[in-house]
Amino acid sequence: MTFIMYLVLFSFVLGLVAVASNPSPYFAALGLVVVAGMGCGVLVGHGGPFLSLVLFLIYLGGMLVVFAYSAALAAEPYPETWGSRPVVTYMVVYLAGVVLVSALFWGGWYESSWGSADELGEFSMFRGDMAGVALMYSAGGWMLVISAWVLLLTLFVVLELTRGLSRGALRAV
Amino acid sequence: MTPVHFAFSSTFMLGLAGLAFHRYHLLSALLCLEGMMLSLFIALSLWTLQLDSTTFSSSPMLLLAFSACEASAGLALLVATARTHGTDRLQSLNLLQC
Amino acid sequence: MNPYIMALLLFGLGLGTTITFASSHWLLAWMGLEINTLAIIPLMAQHHHPRAVEATTKYFLTQATAAAMLLFASTTNAWLTGEWDIQQMSHPLPTTMITLALALKIGLAPMHSWMPEVLQGLDLTTGLILSTWQKLAPFALFLQIHPNNSTILITLGLASTLVGGWGGLNQTQLRKILAYSSIAHLGWMTLVLQFAPSLTLLTLLTYFVMTFSAFLVFKLNKATTVNSLAISWAKTPILTSLAPLILLSLGGLPPLTGFLPKWLILQELTKQGLPLLATFAALTALLSLYFYLRLSYAMTLTMFPNNLAGSAPWRFHSPQLTLPLAVSTATAILTLPLAPAAMALFAP
Repeated sequence: MTFIMYLVLFSFVLGLVAVASNPSPYFAALGLVVVAGMGCGVLVGHGGPFLSLVLFLIYLGGMLVVFAYSAALAAEPYPETWGSRPVVTYMVVYLAGVVLVSALFWGGWYESSWGSADELGEFSMFRGDMAGVALMYSAGGWMLVISAWVLLLTLFVVLELTRGLSRGALRAV
Repeated sequence: MTPVHFAFSSTFMLGLAGLAFHRYHLLSALLCLEGMMLSLFIALSLWTLQLDSTTFSSSPMLLLAFSACEASAGLALLVATARTHGTDRLQSLNLLQC
Repeated sequence: MNPYIMALLLFGLGLGTTITFASSHWLLAWMGLEINTLAIIPLMAQHHHPRAVEATTKYFLTQATAAAMLLFASTTNAWLTGEWDIQQMSHPLPTTMITLALALKIGLAPMHSWMPEVLQGLDLTTGLILSTWQKLAPFALFLQIHPNNSTILITLGLASTLVGGWGGLNQTQLRKILAYSSIAHLGWMTLVLQFAPSLTLLTLLTYFVMTFSAFLVFKLNKATTVNSLAISWAKTPILTSLAPLILLSLGGLPPLTGFLPKWLILQELTKQGLPLLATFAALTALLSLYFYLRLSYAMTLTMFPNNLAGSAPWRFHSPQLTLPLAVSTATAILTLPLAPAAMALFAP
């Protein structure tokens, strides 16, 4: 469990290094997929299957499709992968920074600090996060209303931003 | 500072650094922003799970809804700049300099 | 824009600020800030001009980054101390990060460079909303966290007053000048924040009144550059004679309202044993005063040659509403005698 946690956390950080090191957007989106998948792994390891499922479905099912579409929209003929020189430079610099900072804390990390807080959590039938999210329908009802209202507002924001533009590359026909 | 705390802090800082330093495309900047929001989601969920604070576990969902709003507004701005400027390069956003 | 959508967006602006005001939990405060940002975006880009869209993009990127930094700092605070309450920030690291995030959000000096560019791309009404109403929610958070790191606040404040004066010197664009004036005023508010938060509120209020009048004067003249101010004597003669008073009130000259916050702030700084800081702040205000004086000179103190047909547009009635301008101009010029009442109201 400790080793799996170590591996997952390491890939989590590595995935964001891949996003942040400025490759072409397709590859950055791929890095974000890796980050989201590893984030699901971290959440499962800490005993939150429902939140992990939500992250997996919403992120990989919803948002990354949209990002892939937008990457296709903003496509370029000569993409930059992680092999090209400026990207490699950024990656090396970011990784060196992460390793240096983690070396500061390395002494304080013992074996059980990698695991999660709930021991023997595998034996329990129900997890707290499912019930906690369900609280949004009772006690946190106003938060649900606000979120739904913001999603509606965003719909109008997007429509107003992209409507009525008659110049430029992508014309509204 | 536990390892998970260090992991999401470093991912957030990496996303921030990637957003702040040289970006070519607006879409890459939005992806960095999305990576930052993703590490915030992980941070909130792990706080809930580590402390067994069950009632707080709806907050990552709210965060996810708001970050979806932010991402869609950003993509709409990407389309709008592609229409007005003809490209999504951040270098071409130079009409307002002093 | 469709009036229903406009109403929805304006309601969103109000709701976001209200949520941030009413919240004691960092997540809710962050939600309010996000609603605010989302709601103003279509208002900024409503003319679909390339400059407006570009300004909107820049504004979105900075505000989203600042909001994410704010939430990250409060999450770090929760991990370190287990506390989500806004008023109970005890750890110095998250407090410093939140101070920096809020400084990016309102545009204090080392993080200020988005502010002139964004304001340059907008029309004057949206620019007015951006430089007044959008500052309210971050300032409410700023006042609640009781920042105790005095070095960073003083650095931010002094750098803002300096940059706000210095950056405006070489500008000919009115909106950029107004943006630099906003940066300078926010710097004054930040200087006194840790010593007397009530003075910060008073400064914010007077700044709102003065900048409201300045934006409305320019809007009535349809002026966006210093050049186009030159013929304002032919459009609105009385307002042209009043406009230097508004501008000098922004600069902080004695018989006008703008002198009140600067006076009280300098007095407070001196009382706290920081006379050197007070001297520097007063000297940087001179830089701002120079460009306000130059605006007044171009607008009122010289009469530019004009042809006969162009010199009589003041005979036509302007369709724009002038009552708010009248009220705010009177307030921006004449309320220095109310200083004891204001101090009694704001400083308990």
